[in-house]
Amino acid sequence: MAESPLDVLLKGNSGRTTRGLLRFIILATIAAAAVSSRLFSVIRFESIIHEFDPWFNFRATKYLVQHGFESFWDWFDDRTWHPLGRVTGGTLYPGLMVTSGVIYHVLRFLTIPVDIRNICVLLAPGFSGLTALAMYFLTCEMTTSPSAGLLAAAFMGIVPGYISRSVAGSYDNEAIAIFLLVFTFFLWIKAVKNGSIMWGALAALFYGYMVSAWGGYVFITNLIPLHVFVLLCMGRYSSRIYISYTTWYALGTLASMQIPFVGFLPIRNSDHMSALGVFGLIQLVAFADFVRGFIPGKHFQRLLTTMIIVVFGVAFVGLVVLTVSGVIAPWSGRFYSLWDTGYAKIHIPIIASVSEHQPTAWPAFFFDLNFLIWLFPAGVYMCFRDLKDEHVFVIIYSVLASYFAGVMVRLMLTLTPIVCVAAALALSTILDTYVFATNGPNPRAKANEDTSSEGLRSARKPDVGITSYFSKTVMTSSVVVYLLLFVAHCTWVTSNAYSSPSVVLASRMPDGSQHIIDDYREAYYWLRQNTAHNAKIMSWWDYGYQIGGMADRPTLVDNNTWNNTHIATVGKAMSSREEVSYPILRQHDVDYVLVVFGGLLGYSGDDINKFLWMVRIAEGIWPDEVKERDFFTARGEYRVDDGATPTMRNSLMYKMSYHNFNSMFQPGQAVDRVRGSRLPAEGPQLSTLEEAFTSENWIIRIYKVKDLDNLGRDHNTAVAFDKGNKRKRATKRKGPRVLRTE
Amino acid sequence: MQWSLSFLLFCFLAVVHALSSSGNRLLVVLEDAAEKDLYFTFWSDLEARGYDLVFQSPKSDQLSLFDLGERAYDHLLLLPPRSKGFGPSLSPKNIVDFLNKDGNVLLALSGKSTTPSAISSLLLELDLHLATDRSSVVVDHFNYDTLSATDKHDVLLLQRPGQLRPDTKAYFDGEGVLALPNAAPHTLGDNSLVAPILRAPATAYSYNPKEDVGAVEEVWATGSQLALVSAMQTRSSSRFTLLGSVESLQDKWFSATVKTPGDGKETTTANQEFAKQLTAWTFKETGVLKVGKIEHHLAKDDLTSEDLNPTIYRIKNETVFNIEVSEYSYDKFVPFEVPANDALQLEFTMLSPFHRLKLEPSSRTENSTIYSAQFTVPDQHGIFSFRVNYKRPFLTNIEEKHEVTVRHYAHNEYPRSWKISGGWVWIAGLWSVIGGFLAFVFVWLYSEPTSAKVKKTQ
Repeated sequence: MAESPLDVLLKGNSGRTTRGLLRFIILATIAAAAVSSRLFSVIRFESIIHEFDPWFNFRATKYLVQHGFESFWDWFDDRTWHPLGRVTGGTLYPGLMVTSGVIYHVLRFLTIPVDIRNICVLLAPGFSGLTALAMYFLTCEMTTSPSAGLLAAAFMGIVPGYISRSVAGSYDNEAIAIFLLVFTFFLWIKAVKNGSIMWGALAALFYGYMVSAWGGYVFITNLIPLHVFVLLCMGRYSSRIYISYTTWYALGTLASMQIPFVGFLPIRNSDHMSALGVFGLIQLVAFADFVRGFIPGKHFQRLLTTMIIVVFGVAFVGLVVLTVSGVIAPWSGRFYSLWDTGYAKIHIPIIASVSEHQPTAWPAFFFDLNFLIWLFPAGVYMCFRDLKDEHVFVIIYSVLASYFAGVMVRLMLTLTPIVCVAAALALSTILDTYVFATNGPNPRAKANEDTSSEGLRSARKPDVGITSYFSKTVMTSSVVVYLLLFVAHCTWVTSNAYSSPSVVLASRMPDGSQHIIDDYREAYYWLRQNTAHNAKIMSWWDYGYQIGGMADRPTLVDNNTWNNTHIATVGKAMSSREEVSYPILRQHDVDYVLVVFGGLLGYSGDDINKFLWMVRIAEGIWPDEVKERDFFTARGEYRVDDGATPTMRNSLMYKMSYHNFNSMFQPGQAVDRVRGSRLPAEGPQLSTLEEAFTSENWIIRIYKVKDLDNLGRDHNTAVAFDKGNKRKRATKRKGPRVLRTE
Repeated sequence: MQWSLSFLLFCFLAVVHALSSSGNRLLVVLEDAAEKDLYFTFWSDLEARGYDLVFQSPKSDQLSLFDLGERAYDHLLLLPPRSKGFGPSLSPKNIVDFLNKDGNVLLALSGKSTTPSAISSLLLELDLHLATDRSSVVVDHFNYDTLSATDKHDVLLLQRPGQLRPDTKAYFDGEGVLALPNAAPHTLGDNSLVAPILRAPATAYSYNPKEDVGAVEEVWATGSQLALVSAMQTRSSSRFTLLGSVESLQDKWFSATVKTPGDGKETTTANQEFAKQLTAWTFKETGVLKVGKIEHHLAKDDLTSEDLNPTIYRIKNETVFNIEVSEYSYDKFVPFEVPANDALQLEFTMLSPFHRLKLEPSSRTENSTIYSAQFTVPDQHGIFSFRVNYKRPFLTNIEEKHEVTVRHYAHNEYPRSWKISGGWVWIAGLWSVIGGFLAFVFVWLYSEPTSAKVKKTQ
């Protein structure tokens, strides 16, 4: 925030209480700014849950509030993944739902009747205020300058990289997980600094909360051991580290194993092995440290070397044996794709098909972090200047998170906190250097000496101060300009990029007024009101959560994607001929098929554009029946017009998308506005499905699956008969006549 | 008031449905009003069984199978037209629609006249095939009536049909000989909904009297490939019967005296009885199954009404399934008996059947049999369904599907740790560590060392 340096100036001669009050007011203001900047979508549209995953979380929360915690724990959801069902209670991270449930019941207890939906919508902004606070604490641990903490809190409050996942309505695990991540790290730093069991236990407690809230807890599980490992390698072993790490690991692992979805993973999964390994290592180091007191130096050296070699050998062989024998689960596919960005594309199309699993484009860094991204290296450099245990942590975190953020778009979220810390460190150093040097004997430096840290004293010695008013003015004003630009950028990005609910599409009319395209909800409410309560809806998995949440109908697959084969089955049904698809639809009791079609409006996120992923995923399971090559023309083009391949034109997805599309245009003039291609003069014919509903802008099209023909004919024949086409006399069959014997 | 009205309505319906299980409005389409008298006994038989006969000419303007989108009649009896077809209101599409709306159709053909192509294309939809020339008759030189067809050999004398397959019921059997004059033959396609009622004897063949060619060039079908009477039952259990010889319904043949060429004994035909059986089956007086209540519940003794038909089971539950089936026989429901070589089966299905069990009759009421089966729910959670899928020729289809959810064990339904003997080792290990730690702490705290060193415990 732009006022922070001014505040610091004002505080100069005030007493501690005044400064404490000011700090409190500033933090409260930052929290308020953080909350209010996330409310664009509520003000523009309405209090609505956004996107896809939040719809599931919302549905689960409603279940929790309605049925209580016990039955939520044992929840078997028979309205998703039909007919397999999903053991939902044991396969989700319950932290988010339980948090909202607790808030709901507390408010009820205080006789404040708030709809659970509003709690869910506003949970993420609420927690972003807490994140800013946690960020203040974390940064204050890194430096003696309190302005760094306030700057970091302000950055965290409005940085787009975090807002992208925490606007009002974005009711996702990340909404509370980032707060927990930052706060756990704060507690961990506190524990390492003080060597206290209490802080270690608190860190473990919040780590347990984090595990219950987000799968990204693995980041903490690996970062903290890495921190300890690096400290050990730097020869910085101390009883503080031993106490805090063993406390955190023992209690944290126990806490994490209480979550049904995690269960025994911490001792069986490769992702968690580093924490266990470091736990073993620190025991050995402690033992060696203990032994050193009794054995003379030379013997100790030899003993240490042998011991290290033996232990590493045994541990490595043990790990390999356990992995091969299957006791320790091998690395998960998502993990491999972190190291090799091409891995998922080849082996696991379902992971690669998610846009947020794609590698990050470089402008995204600037888009999400603005000027923080170039202050970030400076901040990391500041940490090197004063390399204490907590600074090592910042450095490791920065390196790891930078790499991960470069590999996967969604991991930008884990990078953001450390960027805020580092940038605040750098900026506060600059401000401190340029603002305070004139005040002669520097009252702030004195005040800091009182508060005991020796942090950046060298940077604040009066003799290196800047005394020229010109350079001070230039520096300060340019920083202020940068900060103002940052605020403007954040507001602009939040308002334009991250506040659209994606359930409702907004567009501009020629006169500049806003036009709302509400096809999704229109279609989902149609389903809700016009179909049987148990009608099974088949759609591509992207829309599973929304159908479950808004239409309240059972779906075949959803965004949980736990069963690749089931998704591939849907992909096969979509990409095959009707004759092949129909038995699949019948077997899975499908009543309606829902497709998203953007050709009329020019909405590019439609199913035809996602179609190749369906084909690829289906091909992964049935390489003989579905072939990606057949959907491309001989010249390797993906076309939907006259040049489309027969496989493409006969696929169920193509037929459903373009069914009757011709009737919207003059004969022969039908144009797909997404693909920009003119469609064949004669549209596709559907025989096993019939159109049930098409939304206003044709974005959602719903088809009803016909029953078997009453007279036992195949559907083609039946449709031809209904159209009045005369059937040819039974043609001569090949081979001998079959005589019916009965 | 409302109650008494509905009671009246109920009584009215009860009277109306006294005979056929699906209504009594029968439309007879007859082109030549003069022909009506030829079938006098047949009409009076039908009227005696409670049908309201409406005679219409296919040319009539008032003839319409539907009224405001609903069926105007329950049953349709079509006699062969003289002209090229039945006209626009009885187009193949209309008749198919009539079938799809659960109307029943009896179509009679005659070998005397050429069957119109409209009828041929209708039959094609039902997978019944007529000969290409559509004007053949079945001739048999071994089973003809020596009294009336001495030269032409086109009055077939046949035994009444018995069971079609060992696992089906016989609805057309009995003593006596059937006489089928001028029968138009047809053949059956592969459609499993089609079943033959009466086939031509092995020595019969199809002959077109209008062609004077002595030898048939291309044999279309011979012997028992030719069917004379066939039944088609749609998936919704509406019925269509094709009778090859309309003359067999005439008064003349109901009680004619006939003689086979072999032993030459004169007998009376059983056509009247067969016509009754045929119309009774077509118009749903026989072979109609009704499913009464379906119950499934956990296998336990003290059942309350809440325990019936739960929507959710747990894996490995012991479960009982009951289904009540009755069969309509002319004027009442009687307990349904599964034929000796057949079984009523229950499937417990998710994508594919996990169980396929024989349903055994467990008890019997005045007009229904209760079949039941008991089984253990498989060790697989998901959305399962109880399915009874019983489709046999001449019986209406039973296709019941009841979805239930099978859930996993809840967290508190597993046995506790101390009940698993294999876990005792670990429990002992756990408690010995706890005990050892407490003992250690106790010893540590209360064994003061001799020297007054202050120890840091942390």
